[in-house]
Amino acid sequence: MNTRRMITGNGAAAWGARLARAEIIPNFPITPQTAIIEEIASWIASREMDADFLPMESEHSVQSALAAASSAGTRVFSATSSQGLMLMTEMMFVTSGLRLPVILVNVSRGLSAPITLWSDHNDVLVQRDSGWLQIFCSNNQEVLDSVVMGYKIAENSDVLLPMMINLDGFTLSATREPVEIPGQDEIDDFLPAYNPKHTILDPKEPMSVGGVVFDEYMYFRSQQRMAMQNSKGVITDVCAEWEKMTGRKYGLVESYCLDDAERALLICGSESAILKYAVDKLRADGEKVGMLRLRTMRPFPCEETLNALSDVEEIGVIDQDISPGSGGIIATEVKACLGRGVTSFIAGLGGRRIGAEKYEKIFGRLGRDVEEWIF
Amino acid sequence: MKTPDLKKLTDIPMEDYLVGGHVACQGCSASLGLRLALKVLGKDTIVINGSGCMTLLPVYPTTPLRVPWIHLAIENTGAAGTALYYALRRKNIKANILGYAGDGATYDIGLQSLSGAAEKNIDMIYICYNNQSFGNTGHQRASSTPRASYTSTTPVGKVEVAKDMPAIMAAHKIPYIATACPSYPLDFLNKVTKAAEVKGMAFIDLLVPCPVGWGFDPAEGINIGRLAVRTGIWKLYEITDGWVSLTYIPKKRRDVSEYLRAQERFSHLSERDIEEVQAEVDREWDELEARGYEYELGI
Repeated sequence: MNTRRMITGNGAAAWGARLARAEIIPNFPITPQTAIIEEIASWIASREMDADFLPMESEHSVQSALAAASSAGTRVFSATSSQGLMLMTEMMFVTSGLRLPVILVNVSRGLSAPITLWSDHNDVLVQRDSGWLQIFCSNNQEVLDSVVMGYKIAENSDVLLPMMINLDGFTLSATREPVEIPGQDEIDDFLPAYNPKHTILDPKEPMSVGGVVFDEYMYFRSQQRMAMQNSKGVITDVCAEWEKMTGRKYGLVESYCLDDAERALLICGSESAILKYAVDKLRADGEKVGMLRLRTMRPFPCEETLNALSDVEEIGVIDQDISPGSGGIIATEVKACLGRGVTSFIAGLGGRRIGAEKYEKIFGRLGRDVEEWIF
Repeated sequence: MKTPDLKKLTDIPMEDYLVGGHVACQGCSASLGLRLALKVLGKDTIVINGSGCMTLLPVYPTTPLRVPWIHLAIENTGAAGTALYYALRRKNIKANILGYAGDGATYDIGLQSLSGAAEKNIDMIYICYNNQSFGNTGHQRASSTPRASYTSTTPVGKVEVAKDMPAIMAAHKIPYIATACPSYPLDFLNKVTKAAEVKGMAFIDLLVPCPVGWGFDPAEGINIGRLAVRTGIWKLYEITDGWVSLTYIPKKRRDVSEYLRAQERFSHLSERDIEEVQAEVDREWDELEARGYEYELGI
């Protein structure tokens, strides 16, 4: 039976893993993620959740454990953040290369040095090319929903790729919001037990996994690319099924007031809520503005972005990240997709407050193919 | 614990789970060590390999392995073993978990991960195939490289002594630790049997003479291993619940020069250098004789 509770984004992530019946939880503490694994530890201790809790010695070991346990056919879950995600980097490519449907929650936090505890998206975007599906959540409900849907997408035999689900540190991770928690029966019907058809370590059917290839390497990479392309349709289907069950609608992008918009801002994650507020205010003054939230970064929703923005004259992109020497990472992607210039805004690095009033000003600064830093 | 029952070479099982046709070097003792270990462990074994020479055994689309094998990276054999142990328990699969990783992957880059698995006393067998260098990349210095050895990154010989890895493992209070060498297959395999029987983590440091890195004729691999043991340079022992017990005591130790002079990696050593090595080995064995060949490690 559904219940409605006031829970944090971290709590919502933990609930997602619990409802999905994740069996192996390798983990390592890091702010602001730690509350996720603490919650899971308490549920395992109280037998509300049937899983093995594996405290590892590093995030590298966490990702290694996720890959090994998934190779043996169990459903696995973990969460990390920032420096922890960086330490996993080597193994991120191994997990996706072995085509293992691992679900990893990242609670985004800016990268050192200097040290920051607050959110930006450079940690996630470092893993952009790692062959993982990437989802950016905008609220706590979406975190729970994305984790459960994530297994169904990742485990689909046309996909078989790991998925990283991002929630913004503190903004979501530590903030309580009302969240609908689906009943376990409902989720069990939606998400059957994981029964891998391929890679599995069982002496009854010996297989060598993770070996050396020569010329074939490029074919393996090509298959990964195909899986990523397939994932678009699977994400759409799974979201439709979820909507039917819960009434909550998700997709690759979220459009807001774009139908007649002349100017639009693209954004990722929880800042979209504040941007919506700014859009509402400007709309009340008669300004034709709108917003497009990219929910998936991989697969990159190019077609959806083109469709959503086809009639929009001036486009800006908010990047809570920076690739020094190039620019806003998402702006670069959007430009490549649209084939035209956008105004690139670098904002909110290390959790620096942006606020609705700044978004209102930003809407007045579109129409130039430049990069602007919003301090 | 099941009593190890291999008394003569013909007691070694005929079955092979690492079969021919692979690309390991001629005279490679590391592949021999794996082949021997799998004979004893049998078909219900899953191998986790850390990147190194043995990673080149399965080359797509072929594999010489008749048991499941997984390679992830160089430094995470312990972490993978930990996860696999719990995953197999959930899947109700009964199998030995064999970690098979080189000394660089064990003494150096994988030490943290191995320590994590040892601290949790994961029920796995971890064999470090020890060629005393980063062998697969062409014989570079490792913390397992003995003092004075030439490597491609210690062109005038290594200055420091090798890490005492079995003692590090003993400090983790795991139930069974041993050293071995494929040149003594019965000694090695009886230790593998004990390692499989023991509940919790077992660690075997397996000296594998490397013809390419050490510089000797591939036909001499077994002899080099024997000389390492008979000169007393590589001691064969086991540590069971903190008690050290030598499993082979050379009646009359051969001169270390026989071992050192047989390998190019020590060819730069002067007579005086060799005398120093001899003196060090003699001192160690004098100490052993004084305390008896069985004693409590006291870590």
